Amino acid sequence: MATSLYGASEAQDVICVFLEREGDTLQRVSLELLSKGRELADEVGWKLAGLLLGYYRMLPLMGQAFEVGADEIWVAEHPLLKTFTVEAYTSAAFQVIMNRKPSIFLCGATPNGRDLAGRLAVKLRTGLTADCTDLRMREGGILVGEVTGFGGGVLALIKTPQHRPQMATVRPGVFPLKPPRTERVSRAVEIISVTLDEAQVRTRVVEQVVGRGADITQSPVVVVGGRGIQGRFDLLRQLAELLGGEVGATRPPVDSGQIERERQVGQTGVVCRPKVAIVCGASGAFQFTVGIQHADTVIAINTDPEAPIFETADYGVVGDALQIVPALIEALRNSRVAVTSG
Amino acid sequence: MTQVEHLTVDDARWDTLFERTRGAVALCYQCGVCTALCPWGQVREGKPLSVRSLLRRAQLGVPDDHEDIWLCTACAQCESLCPRGVPVAEVFQSLRGMAWEERRVPKGLPSVLWSIYWNNNPWSQPPSHRSRWAKGLEVPRFDPSEHEVLYYVGCTAAYDRRAQKVARALVKLFQAAGVRFGTLGDEEPCCGDAAKSLGYTPYFEEIVQNAAQVFAQNGVRRLVATSPHCFDTFRNYAPRYQADFEAEHYTQFLDRCLSEGRLRFSREVPLRVTFHDPCFLGRRNDEYEAPRRILDAIPGLERVEMARSRQDALCCGGGGGRMWMETSAGERFANLRVQDALATGVQVLVTACPFCIACFEESVKAVGAPNLRVMDVAELAAMAIE
Amino acid sequence: MTYATNEPHLVVCVKVVPKPEEVRVDPQSRRLDRAGARSEINPPDLNAVEFALQIKDRFGGKVSILSMGPPFFEPYLRICLAMGADHVYLLSDRLFGGADTLATTYTLAQAVRRLEPVDLVLCGEESSDGATGQVPPGLAEWLGYQQITLVNDIEMDMSRRTVRGRRERQGGYEILEVPLPAVISVKTGCNEPRFWDYRLKPWAFAPERVTVWSASDMDVDPEFIGLAGSPTQVVGLEQAPSRERKRIMLSGSPQEVAQQLAARLREVLPLVP
Repeated sequence: MATSLYGASEAQDVICVFLEREGDTLQRVSLELLSKGRELADEVGWKLAGLLLGYYRMLPLMGQAFEVGADEIWVAEHPLLKTFTVEAYTSAAFQVIMNRKPSIFLCGATPNGRDLAGRLAVKLRTGLTADCTDLRMREGGILVGEVTGFGGGVLALIKTPQHRPQMATVRPGVFPLKPPRTERVSRAVEIISVTLDEAQVRTRVVEQVVGRGADITQSPVVVVGGRGIQGRFDLLRQLAELLGGEVGATRPPVDSGQIERERQVGQTGVVCRPKVAIVCGASGAFQFTVGIQHADTVIAINTDPEAPIFETADYGVVGDALQIVPALIEALRNSRVAVTSG
Repeated sequence: MTQVEHLTVDDARWDTLFERTRGAVALCYQCGVCTALCPWGQVREGKPLSVRSLLRRAQLGVPDDHEDIWLCTACAQCESLCPRGVPVAEVFQSLRGMAWEERRVPKGLPSVLWSIYWNNNPWSQPPSHRSRWAKGLEVPRFDPSEHEVLYYVGCTAAYDRRAQKVARALVKLFQAAGVRFGTLGDEEPCCGDAAKSLGYTPYFEEIVQNAAQVFAQNGVRRLVATSPHCFDTFRNYAPRYQADFEAEHYTQFLDRCLSEGRLRFSREVPLRVTFHDPCFLGRRNDEYEAPRRILDAIPGLERVEMARSRQDALCCGGGGGRMWMETSAGERFANLRVQDALATGVQVLVTACPFCIACFEESVKAVGAPNLRVMDVAELAAMAIE
Repeated sequence: MTYATNEPHLVVCVKVVPKPEEVRVDPQSRRLDRAGARSEINPPDLNAVEFALQIKDRFGGKVSILSMGPPFFEPYLRICLAMGADHVYLLSDRLFGGADTLATTYTLAQAVRRLEPVDLVLCGEESSDGATGQVPPGLAEWLGYQQITLVNDIEMDMSRRTVRGRRERQGGYEILEVPLPAVISVKTGCNEPRFWDYRLKPWAFAPERVTVWSASDMDVDPEFIGLAGSPTQVVGLEQAPSRERKRIMLSGSPQEVAQQLAARLREVLPLVP
């Protein structure tokens, strides 16, 4: 069997979490992984390290990472790491990992995180358990990742017994963010120098556009309005915005010109595959439900308790969407205030 | 100044079309009855579907990337009075077939064919869920030594929650009549109507041949279909592929059960209803009376006719593959048909086709007629048994 | 510059997968029971095939279908030929069995090497059985190719030998450009795959359209393929809780219901406050 670049005997008792930044803060998924990593490290008495790549204004990011439980931060600074490119980041992460030899390397399953982890695993010749829904630590520091396959129908437990680092990616939101642990004293920042060559970086960002190009087939949340919302798509838009999603519609509101035809969901419209579809005031005609059958979770709100939409929903509410949606917006807004002030 | 449209005549195209319609397209002598009768004229003022000119262009071999070729609902209104007997819908299907070959097909239609290919139904539903409609009912797997007839459920009745109620009503009726029947469960093949209507004929032929084979392997000699579309396919197209079984629409089968005294209606159903003839039962297969006889046998039920009925019935708009295409709000035949029904003052608009039900239920809401119910003959009949 | 150099060679990685809803975990043996399951081409891979064919429509060139799996994959892969692809390469050998991402990407990469010159390797976003989405970057790493993942639109420039891909980001999009050769992963559902062409079907099912390579036909290190080349091990399988809709009805005043819904949303959406 082919071996990884370093084996279990050389690996250090450290769990390393890749810290992905978003402007001046760390991505939430990185903090979630630090929280989980702390828990796993404590089980076996290991250290928890964060890997931070970048060029400037790294200090506030380190503070965040320490707060959620990192013992040390490995920092590599280089002008080519200012923004993410898969070439520079893979190369830098590889150099740091080869320098520190962690036993475990965790990464958020974001688009960039997946790009990085996929390349890194090959570079290191090690195993990668992608999109874990849970992580457990077994005796001897063996990481077991739980993954789902076959459209979520099968759960598999996967480990990498001999190769190091044991790599795993985890989707955002899988692990809760635990409150900061203040009693930790060890807070070490280690700067690791990396060599990067401009010629390596061959990806060119041609254009980056924010706030446009909304594509309801790709949206993680779709709030769908039917006849029952009486054209109040403004309300649905507020809810969708709050959830980072898009607004869709059944046929009748499209017919009456309340919303563009491009947003019609169903057999003769678009088929979407969001994490959540919130269906408001739609009875649930078959031709429509075909358009939301791939949604992970369906929430339905309708005044008619007999409406067939409830048969294809995970959570149903009998009531007027025009009352429930504003209340939901309120509930979500209030909890946001609670989080930031607390 | 007169605008002159420059047309390119393509002989090869004409030859292809001639061959595919087995010469029928040449019969048209441009009288225009078809255009006058076409229901699109009733919903598209000023820009009706000119069947006549499309046929003429076809005869000249003019390449037609016209969107209009996708409008035909195959309702056969025009065919019924065509003095030359042109199978207009088939000509449209051939034109669509050419559009497939040239990859000029409306968005969404390739997905319908893929769904039949991978899922054995045009509705993108899992094939392993096909028999779920029968949950809680006693529906045995068809066995030729035990069963007199195969109940062919069809894709729409198997998956569409509304149409499933029709299938369940039928099971109740079969049981009441002591019919020894079974289904093919998840193995039931798609009839291919969608592929035929959308003009992808070679694939349709494959589907029908496969279905015929499945029926033969299972020893099926007679089948009863929920949908007039499946029935039409099995009755009129399957025989071209050496199929050896007889197909009936369920209204015909129930009608016989009534006349043979196997089925009796004992409960009053005090409703005023009107029957809408599905195109693929009526004009396409000449069955106008069986559904009416069933309705008339229901005690307490009062049946009236709409102004246009039987041969003159207006199409619901769901045939010809239009179930898988969008029709803009002002152009739905079903809205007009619901008005026809409202004019009779009935409580229930009855039909015998899952496509008609889907179209009418949507239109009942669209025209704001909440008191008009849309039901299937089977559902009313099931109300009439103990 | 000759015309031929402008005609790209496109390789599409395609997998045949069981229909997800038909796969069961045998409660006794705890092994995957896919025997009764119908198979299909991994749906996201058809989106990749469609992009390759669109490029071929425009620039000409050649579309090769590359797959690793048992011989029964063959008739499924031929459907890609009936869509317009040119040839199928099926990597089939017991020695390839049990491969995880590392071994799979290695084996596929060695096949791509054999098919070079290659301009673009296209993959579906992920496979419905494994759903890890890690093949494209892994493949790119083995090959030393550039990569753009999760694109929903692509544009090739054969004279500059670059490819651009548009990918959605949170609340917007970005367009990235990389030089060829490159690996592209295609966002599921971003295009509508053309239906197979009946005129191509007889051609597609001619024996010579498919080349089957076993391990001995390829330049592969036995230590890197199949089970031997796979660092990860499956230690347990379970049937996940049913994917049927839950059909739970929530009740209460609008405010009470809203609180319950907000809680549910927080469970399933990471970004909800």
